[in-house]
Amino acid sequence: MQRSLSAEDARFQAELREFMTTQFPEEIRAKVRAGAPLTKDELVRSQQILNAAGYAVPHWPTEWGGRDWTPLQFHIWQSEMQAAAVPMPLPFNASMVGPVIATFGSEELKQRFLPATANLDIWWGQGFSEPDAGSDLASLRTTAVRDGDEYVVNGQKTWTTLGQHADWIFCLVRTNPDAKKQEGISFLLIDRYSPGVEIRPIQLIDGGHEVNEVFFTDVRVPAENLVGEENKGWDYAKFLLGNERTGIGPVGTLKRHLAQTKEYASGVSRSDGTSLLKDPLVAARFAALEAELVALELTVIRVAGHSEDGKPNPASSILKIRASQLQQDVSELAMDVAGPMSLAWLIEDDVLADSGDGALVPEWARRATPTYLNNRKVSIYGGSNEVQRSIIAGAVLGLKG
Amino acid sequence: MDFTIDSEQRALAQAVREMAARHPSGPSRTGAGPKPHNADLWAAMADTGLLGLPFGEEVGGFGATAVEVFLAAGELGQAGLSTAYPDALLAAQLLADAGDDLLSSVIGGEALALPALAEPLRAFAPVPGGVQATQSGEGWVLEGAKGPIPFGESATHLIVSARAEEGTVLVVVDAPQVTDGVLGSGQRGRLLLSGAAAAESLNRALALASVALAGQALGAMESAMRLTTDYLKTRKQFGVPLAAFQALTHRAADMYVSLELARSSAMFLAMSVAEGDTDPATVSRARVVLSRTGRHIGQEAIQLHGGIGMTAEYAVGHLTALLTAVEHTYGDVTHHVSSLAAQIEGHDTVRLLG
Repeated sequence: MQRSLSAEDARFQAELREFMTTQFPEEIRAKVRAGAPLTKDELVRSQQILNAAGYAVPHWPTEWGGRDWTPLQFHIWQSEMQAAAVPMPLPFNASMVGPVIATFGSEELKQRFLPATANLDIWWGQGFSEPDAGSDLASLRTTAVRDGDEYVVNGQKTWTTLGQHADWIFCLVRTNPDAKKQEGISFLLIDRYSPGVEIRPIQLIDGGHEVNEVFFTDVRVPAENLVGEENKGWDYAKFLLGNERTGIGPVGTLKRHLAQTKEYASGVSRSDGTSLLKDPLVAARFAALEAELVALELTVIRVAGHSEDGKPNPASSILKIRASQLQQDVSELAMDVAGPMSLAWLIEDDVLADSGDGALVPEWARRATPTYLNNRKVSIYGGSNEVQRSIIAGAVLGLKG
Repeated sequence: MDFTIDSEQRALAQAVREMAARHPSGPSRTGAGPKPHNADLWAAMADTGLLGLPFGEEVGGFGATAVEVFLAAGELGQAGLSTAYPDALLAAQLLADAGDDLLSSVIGGEALALPALAEPLRAFAPVPGGVQATQSGEGWVLEGAKGPIPFGESATHLIVSARAEEGTVLVVVDAPQVTDGVLGSGQRGRLLLSGAAAAESLNRALALASVALAGQALGAMESAMRLTTDYLKTRKQFGVPLAAFQALTHRAADMYVSLELARSSAMFLAMSVAEGDTDPATVSRARVVLSRTGRHIGQEAIQLHGGIGMTAEYAVGHLTALLTAVEHTYGDVTHHVSSLAAQIEGHDTVRLLG
């Protein structure tokens, strides 16, 4: 056991810190720090800068842009990006569909999609959940029926995050309605602009347009767009979800949010004129959260919960549960720090006059409640925390009724 | 940063496990209450080298680090053994810092030197402030009582923290008269350390003891977790194993999540102290997580067992009592959160990797 970084890892960290803090556009980092939503163009530009430097898809196989890093180096990479408020590579591309195509796809699919996916020339949307297939994802009903060299797809997907920007959608579809439900599912890549695809926005409680419904009506998809084998899609989906949960461990982002919230608290006065951070109860909440966050970060480093050999690692369930709880705790604290100011909401499309009286209630305080409400999602998505508990109980503790 | 346990460390853990198995926990006078000092176990611990693990070979020590202390304490905790190990290491560190001759007989197990930090009706602080020390002739006189002192009746020496004109002083009392865990007022002793040197040494010693406490707590939590999952698999009600009830298995899953985060915290504390970081904030952060987890796992282990978990005959309640005792040794959650909160403005974020 050793706490300090090796000389090699310290050098690696210094290189990444240098890149993220000096070579990356400050105007994008400033927006991320402020919690402002980024435009599609900004996200594409970000990922392309990272990709050019070899920092967009380091966890892919090396022939497709991956880096031969140790688990600790992957953690350092993610921490430095998040600490510097550099947006993470688009998860649908970098963490979800990319590794699936690289691991299970045909050589032709790899050539066709991986470089464009790494560079965000193609924006991917996720077509997994359906109105009647949430936690019970395997009961999905969207069908793909083989017709010559094509599949004909019919059905509805939902919760497709940022689907309004998507060029392509990776979908779980039912190709064998007669098999056991997990054994009749395939993993299909669908061009969003194919006739019969319709995307409709869903407005969420924070007022944002983050997720969408996607409808498929007699959509014809070339059979070559099938990833891996027909009816093996459930295995690929489990592999993807194991990676997704790891991606949901944004420790660096969480640390930055907590540090910023502390700074905001020091700028809020109490009736005696001292800052809110002098309130022992408020200070204690920060202190306890910092201690819990340290434990989470150490666990991320210790278990390095990436999928291995195409199998999901149950450690990813631990990280998903705890990271989501702490994410919610931090946004709850931020809202409480905003206090009475949390009653005012920032409507993202409106522009607050810089010098107007409205700006006296700062943007961070106006974002506090929408962010708190938005973050209720983190214990629901990526496999709800209840699903994660069932995975731990079954796969780790061997508790099976 | 590296969490790997090497083969020598595994061998040490294995040796401690076997030693612990030969010395099962004795009965308490009441329920899962405090256990008396077990002299046979203590002699075996000395023989195995545990009492001098982190100290140099020139004083009879093993020349290892806090990481080995963590692993050894973990095995004691797994076996549910309640011992003076963390306290004895604290005292030994104070003796080592003072270059005191007593250290080698403490490491050899012939002497049992224990710290006396707590005071009746005082919240925890390394030097609580109720006991005053004044020089008198060649020795020092202590005004005020110290206690409770776990295993104090069996101690050959106590190292008492007190206040004096010099600030903090540490006074060694030979052949102390401890009654019902309390050292009464008016004791005489000799000065070990004073002023800044005493405060710094106490800090180092508390960090080392915290590593042992963390190991002990983690071991006890691992055992409580294992007993609980075994019980859920085997105990039947309504004609099915308890593991058929999601209300129970999800609670077990939450225990496991807590346990794994506590494990990371405990290991990190051990590595930090091994590398000379005895910053009280590092200690406090680890102890907050471990103590909260100790409560979570201890309480849930009893609840998921049901009635059997309440009996003195069954191990799980003893593990919960051990966790409760560890939690209140050298600062509980309130103490550690409160000291972290007092310095919350000193940093933007906690950097683990520099």
